[in-house]
Amino acid sequence: MTTSHLTPVLDPDLDLTVSRIIAAPRSVVWDAWADPRKLERWWIPAPTLCRVEALELVPGGAFVTRMSEDGGEFVPHIDGCILQVDVGERLVFTNSLLRGWRPAEQPFMTAVITLADHPDGTEYVATVLHSSSAHRATHDELGFYDGWGTVIRQLAEFVETTPST
Amino acid sequence: MAQYPSAYPERLDDLFQALADPTRRAVIARLGMGPASISELAEPFAMALPSFLKHIRVLESSGWIRSQKNGRVRTCTIDESRFADLDGWLADQRAVWEQRTDRLESFVTTSTDRKGRS
Repeated sequence: MTTSHLTPVLDPDLDLTVSRIIAAPRSVVWDAWADPRKLERWWIPAPTLCRVEALELVPGGAFVTRMSEDGGEFVPHIDGCILQVDVGERLVFTNSLLRGWRPAEQPFMTAVITLADHPDGTEYVATVLHSSSAHRATHDELGFYDGWGTVIRQLAEFVETTPST
Repeated sequence: MAQYPSAYPERLDDLFQALADPTRRAVIARLGMGPASISELAEPFAMALPSFLKHIRVLESSGWIRSQKNGRVRTCTIDESRFADLDGWLADQRAVWEQRTDRLESFVTTSTDRKGRS
């Protein structure tokens, strides 16, 4: 560790943590994040194509990804800003800011990715903090892409419009 | 670091599997209007009671509904906390990041092919 780190305070209504032991060396996992050509192979679920337009691994650097349903037009996916980089250990980015710390129009998320050595490979933790406007933003941007969310939501809405006892 | 409870995705699987059937979806929709007895629930369906009860059991074991026996009548109630689990953008986001982590994991473990790894 080269710097001291703030530990995010998690709000269970807004934030999430995904933690996984990955059977690969830390350098390999880091590389899958830090190399744009590799990142675009897993960042968005197939068959949607991903293009990493910018991944400037310095504080204030741009993190921009775009996606395409059919390989034709690429539309915005993430437009964010790198906040912190400890090579091989930690990557923090947000879409609350754009390149060079310019405030973004539709912020909702900060992600803290940490990698640590583990006897079986790498302990990988993604902590994702959301603003309370996340609901609206993700509806339009992300929820749809990975989501089975829509179906269940429609069903829930249908059920909930008729209040039960 | 706290591991996210691994039970979560499996439980989601159960929840969705339970929904993958029109009869069960209809039962959930009906229960959204309020509790109902098994016979009330079974009425609209042209199927034998044992077959219908199978659907009820799937819904119960997956957590969608609860049932309670009062004398000779078993009454079913929807468990609304299941909707709270699923009917939310945070659940969507969790799924996004879980699946993203799945893809990262599979990318780094299959494309490196280093010794001693399976």
